[in-house]
Formats: sequence, C-alpha cells, structure tokens
Amino acid sequence: MQNPLFFLKRSVEGKATTIQADQHPSSEYALYVKGINKTYPNGIVANRDVSVSVMWGEVHAILGENGAGKTTLVKIISGCLKPDSGEIYIDGKKVDIDSPLKAVSLGIGMVHQHFTLIPSFTVAENIALSLPLKGRLSLDHVKEKIKSVSEVLNLKIDPDARIEQLPVGLRQRVEILRLLCQDVKILILDEPTSVLTPIEVEDLFRMIRELKSKGKSIIIITHKVREALAISDRVTIMRGGRVVKTLMTKDSNESELASLVVEGFCPSLKIEHVGRGDPILLVKDLKVKGDRGEIAVKGISLVLHSGEILGMAGVAGNGQKELVEAITGLRRAESGTILIKNCDLTNNPPKSIIRNGVAYIPEDRMRRGVILTMSVSENLVLKNFEDPPYSKGMIMDKGAIERSASELITRFGIKASDPWITVNSLSGGNIQKLVVARELSNGASILIAEQPTAGLDVKASEGVHQKMMELKSKGVGILLVSADLDEIVRLSDRILVIFEGRIVGEFTRDNCDIQKIARLMLGAPV
Amino acid sequence: MIEWALIIGFIAAGIRTSAPLMLASLGETIVERGGILNLGIEGAMLIGAFTGFMGAFLTGNLWIGLLMAILGGILTVLVFGILVVRINLDQVVSGLAINLLAAGLCLYFFRLAFSQGAFPYLSELIGPYPIPLLSQIPVIGDVLFNQTIFVYVGIIAVPITYYLIFKTSYGLKLRSVGEDPLVAAYLGIDVSRIRYTALILEGILVGMAGGLLCLSMFNVFDTRIVAARGFVAVSIVILGRWNPVGALAGSLLFGFTEALSLWIGTFLIGPASASISQLLSLLPYLVTLIALLIGGRRVRGPAALGSPFSKE
Repeated sequence: MQNPLFFLKRSVEGKATTIQADQHPSSEYALYVKGINKTYPNGIVANRDVSVSVMWGEVHAILGENGAGKTTLVKIISGCLKPDSGEIYIDGKKVDIDSPLKAVSLGIGMVHQHFTLIPSFTVAENIALSLPLKGRLSLDHVKEKIKSVSEVLNLKIDPDARIEQLPVGLRQRVEILRLLCQDVKILILDEPTSVLTPIEVEDLFRMIRELKSKGKSIIIITHKVREALAISDRVTIMRGGRVVKTLMTKDSNESELASLVVEGFCPSLKIEHVGRGDPILLVKDLKVKGDRGEIAVKGISLVLHSGEILGMAGVAGNGQKELVEAITGLRRAESGTILIKNCDLTNNPPKSIIRNGVAYIPEDRMRRGVILTMSVSENLVLKNFEDPPYSKGMIMDKGAIERSASELITRFGIKASDPWITVNSLSGGNIQKLVVARELSNGASILIAEQPTAGLDVKASEGVHQKMMELKSKGVGILLVSADLDEIVRLSDRILVIFEGRIVGEFTRDNCDIQKIARLMLGAPV
Repeated sequence: MIEWALIIGFIAAGIRTSAPLMLASLGETIVERGGILNLGIEGAMLIGAFTGFMGAFLTGNLWIGLLMAILGGILTVLVFGILVVRINLDQVVSGLAINLLAAGLCLYFFRLAFSQGAFPYLSELIGPYPIPLLSQIPVIGDVLFNQTIFVYVGIIAVPITYYLIFKTSYGLKLRSVGEDPLVAAYLGIDVSRIRYTALILEGILVGMAGGLLCLSMFNVFDTRIVAARGFVAVSIVILGRWNPVGALAGSLLFGFTEALSLWIGTFLIGPASASISQLLSLLPYLVTLIALLIGGRRVRGPAALGSPFSKE
C-alpha cells in the first residue's frame, strides 16, 4: 500500500516530521483525506483528486469561490454524501463514513449553512434528539450534560430557550454545543460567518480559538479571504473542484490568497460617488405590523434620492423585512405614507408599485425571487410577460421571450445550458444572477436590494455591485438592505442603522464609523 | 329531586356521546404530531364500525366485535400509511381516497352478506360497566364511573397520550418528525418507523371509535353511521392545538352539544317537532365551526404537517 502521507509531506512540512514509509498516517493527523473524487448525477464534477489533512488542535480553513467544491468535500467527510473514490483516515485509522450518524460516532461533526435545529423545540430538546435515548425522556440529564459541556467552553446558553427565540449567532452556538455533547472532536463549520453580524463573528472566532486550545480540530469553510487569514493556522485553497494549494496562514497574505482563489483576480470595482438628484422615494412615519401582529416598523421616515445608494444596516429581524415589504406592496402599512416619485402609493398592490418603476431583489430568492419549477426564460419575463413584445393580446410570443432570455443569460453570465431548463437545476449563485438580471433590466428608477450578494462568490458579488454602480450612475436610487456591513460601507452614499423598528443612526461617507454602526446595530449605547 | 336526576343524566349522556370523538381525536393528535394529516380517519372509523358489527353479528360475541373493529381500524390506517409514508402520495388526496374506498367496500360487503331488505341488528350492546365502589359516589359516580369501557379508555388515553407525546423519547422523535423530517432523518431518526408506529396507535383508537358506534351506540350498521365524526375529530385536533388535553376539551364540547340537541328534542311536541329536531342535530357541527372560527385562528401546528417526505 502506498503511504497515504506521501503527497502530504510537502504541504505540511515542518509539522509532519518523521513518518516512516508504509506506516499508517500517524495519529498526529486528526483527519486525513486522500484522493477524493465526486461527480454529481447531472455530470458536474465537484471534487477531483482532493486531498487535505488536518492536525489535532488546528484551525484549517478551506477557501474558495462558490462552486469550488468546498461544501461537497466537507459533506463527504461528514457522511452526507458518498464519494466516487477516495480514502478518509481519522486519527490514523482508515474509516468508511456512510452517514452523518457514523461520522459523529467517529468524532466528526458539521454545522451546515442551513441549521439542523427544530425552531419550536428548546435547546435541550434539540440536543436530546441527537443523543441515543430510549423510553422516558429525561431532559434533566440532557441539561446537566449541556451545563457541563458549556461550562468548560464558557458558552452561555439557556437550555430551556426555544430556538426560534434565539438570534442566529446563538443558534449556531447551539449547533456547536450539540456536536460537543456528542463528543465530536473534529468540527466542520460551513460558511459560519455568512449569517452573523460583525460582533457575532468576533464571538465565534473567540469560541473557535477556545475549542482549539482544548485540542479540537476545526475546519472552517469560507469564501472570504480575510476570514481565512484571521482565524486559521493553515489554509487550503480550492478552485474548480481541485486543491490549488495548502499553505501556512502566517506565511501568506491577502493578495496572495485572493489571486489563488480566483486566478488572476484583482478587484476592479470603481466606486464613484456622483452627486445625488431629486428625492424619488419618500417614506413618512411608516408603521408596519410583523407576522405575529407586533409592530415591527415603529414609525420610520426616510428619503432616497436618485443616483444614491442608501444603505440600511441592521441585524436581521429588526423590521427591515417588514419595511421593505411595505414599500414593495407585499405587506399592509398600518399608518404613514410611501411616496414614489411624488405619487402616494401607500398600500397599493405590488403590480402598481412595479409599474411605477420599483425593482426588488428579495432576500429569500428561492421563494420570492423565482418560481423554481418554471423555466429560466419564463422567470426572466415574470414581471413584464403581459407587455409587448412578449405578449400580443392574450397570446405569449415564445420566440420573443427566448430572444430576450438568451440575451440576458449572456449579459449577466447566468450558467444555464438552455433558456428553457427549469430554475431548480441552477446553482444558488446563478439563481441570484437570474433575479438580478430580471430586476435590473426593466428600466426601474428605484431598486430595493435585500442581501443582494448573500451566498455569492467574489466574482458574482463583484458583478452585482458593478451593475448597481451602473444603475446609480444612470440616476437610479438604490435602497441596499444588508447584514454584511462591509458591503454597506463600501457601496453606500449614506447609511441608516435600523434597530427594533426604528432608525437609530445616520452616517454619511464622511463620518462613517464602523465600530459605531456595529454597536448601534445591536442597540448598544454609543 | 327530578331536575337533579335530569342534569346528571344529561352530563352522563354528554360524556357518552363524546367518547368516539375522544378516541378518534387522540389518535389523530398522535399522527399529526408526526406530520401526517389523516383525513382518511372517517373511512377508518367506518371500516371499524363495519368489521366490528360483522364480528359481533357473526359470532354473537360483542368483545370479538370490538377486537375486529380495532383490527379493521389498524388495517385501514396502515393502507393510508403505505400510500403516504412508503409511496409518498399527497396526504389529503390519499385520505379522501381512503374514505371513498371505505364507503364503497362497506356497502359492497354489507350487500354481499345480507339480502336486500334484510335488517340485521345486534340483540345487545356493550352497556355501561359501573366501577365497583367509585360508581357509588353521589353525582360523580353516575357521571364518570357508570359509563361504557369506551369512555374509560377515552379518558385514560388522555394522560397516556400526553405522556407519550411530551415525556418520552419516542414523543420527542415523533414531534421532531412532525416539525422537520429532514432534520430528524439527518440526526439518525427513522422517520418511516416513527410514522408507522404513530399510525398503528391511531388505528387502534380510531378502530375502537368506529366499533363503538355499532357496538355501544346503535345496534345496526349503516354506511352513514360515522356521520362526519372523523372530520369533526380532525377539527377538534386543531381546536385542541395538537394537545391531548385540548382534544379532550374539544370532544366534550362537541359531545355535550350533541347531547343537548337530543335532549331538547325530547321536549318537543307538536307537528313541527320532527323538522325542528332535525335542525337541532346540526347544532354540534355549527358549534364546531364557530369554535374553530374563534379558537382555530393563528394556531400553529407541526411545521411539516401534511407535507410529503422523501430522503432524496
């Protein structure tokens, strides 16, 4: 048998010292993956001969764009997917991982991007579910276990809290806590920061360092170069399903990593700040109710000018969603007025708001942005299929729809083999491109963009930002709602901070203070 | 005092008429907690009533009838289970199909067994079984402890079901399957097994509820005998917010209204009394509707209720 460590010696030089040939991988390696290949049934090759090693007590970042194969790799390691070929060693022993349960029993656990918690259950109930239980349910036992595990790591979690009442950062902590209660020693975190606020990210990183000091190994998947630099000991860069390189983080830097992630990438976005024009969207004293009948927007007034990007920073769940839904006509406003180009359109139906030039990129693109079971072409004309040239009278013109779709597919770089394939066969990033293409191509004068780059890779994000800048220079006013503070600060001419349904701060480019914004987002005194 | 006796009689009757609903709604509560909406409960009750009647009629033993009713209930619910758990068909459509199938089968076999015009009936019914000592307590004894076995089982099943759902590890798994079967499966829970177990429990309770109609309430069989009690049980589950105690309360509400409408009917005299008592028999359904309008709004059931689940 060829020594599986053979190829690794180069990449971890200095740490992997004396390894005899024909020996099993030493137990210095917590995890050790060799030659993984994976092709999906639809023909997409997600992993090509991928090999990675992780040491005990190491934070290992796997860095790459969307579609680079990172998630596929860790899904294989955590037993959610079966590889076509390849070997996995844990603590020097070859293992066969055929289910997430098996992975956990071997000490590997993963925190997915979409949490696997049951929202209406308490923390203790969720953790109890993952433990082998029989007969009478004794939650006290589970609570004791939670207490002992969380004390060691200084995690503060109330075992009786319902998941749905916890902020996202804490839910993530519960996921991690659950894995620790299952005695997991190798933790995999898939894009853990994508849902967190800057302060929550700091908390998470502190926790990761704590885990590391207790000898756990942590694999963190990310597409953000800066995060990989901030937290990891070593970083493996993936591109197009292959491992490009593994290197020591401290010997690398941002530009080296960025150029490895995207071959020859250099940020080209030109941020121009042209003078703003007339007000086009005016919101006055708006009050909107949330889903549970509570007042979610408590009297917000704002003005958006043409040629301006107005950023709205805030932790999700502070009334942004309700505000946006009221403006776009999806939710009734209890009181207040919404003026679009001096027309009072308060509580008008969405159609009339669309006709008045409001484009909308919804946060929940899968449910609000597209109809998954319809084709790309149909989705691209969803907002104007009744107008010529797409329809003549009641009859739709398939040819015209296809021509327009093909043009948009090329212009926005949507990866779709055919304009008539259904949207659910596209990747998340491509679905977002589709939504952006539809919303940005119909001559709107106002764009409401909710988390427009969430889950997109560097290149795709850059493309969306580029388009937004283009629109802005044409005089479109953009309301940018995002939890990504970096994005808001980079693009916005003005920034509003929303907290508990109220605007609690306004910043211009000149007096912008990220620390202050981050604190305001959490309702902390400034 | 005569009034006292009347009132005690009325309360006892109310509890008695609630019994089939208690059994059925408790069964439905269990499966809905596991994410399955079984509208086929109406058909399962009918099959239970039919097999119960046939069993008792052919053997002359009411207890064999009850056993057959339970088996009929389990069998029908399991057929539904295969449709929705194994084959992953739409739950609403499958439930309605089961109801149609049950009505057709019962009519067919009833005709096959008895010639046209025959009027088979059971010569005796499962009557009240007074519990020694307890039934001697004034008032409470008559109301609670001088009832049929169905009432006893229905009432005892409330705390048992509650314990099962909220205090056992099976209950936790059942609820997780009802909230998010994908997550449950990810955590290594066998979703199908949990759901089949719940369905069998429902089958037992619903079969009893159906058998009760023929073995303890009426001594004849008719394909209309269930009279939408299954559907009422489904709305009682919503009204009771997927909680066994709520299901008990909802069943009593319906049962008492039914008893009330019958009770008022006995006081009617005169030429219009027949049509008025017909109208009165609508009362329980009307009360259910109103109760749903008031109590059924903004309630949140199991998140995955009614949605098919497959691992792919």
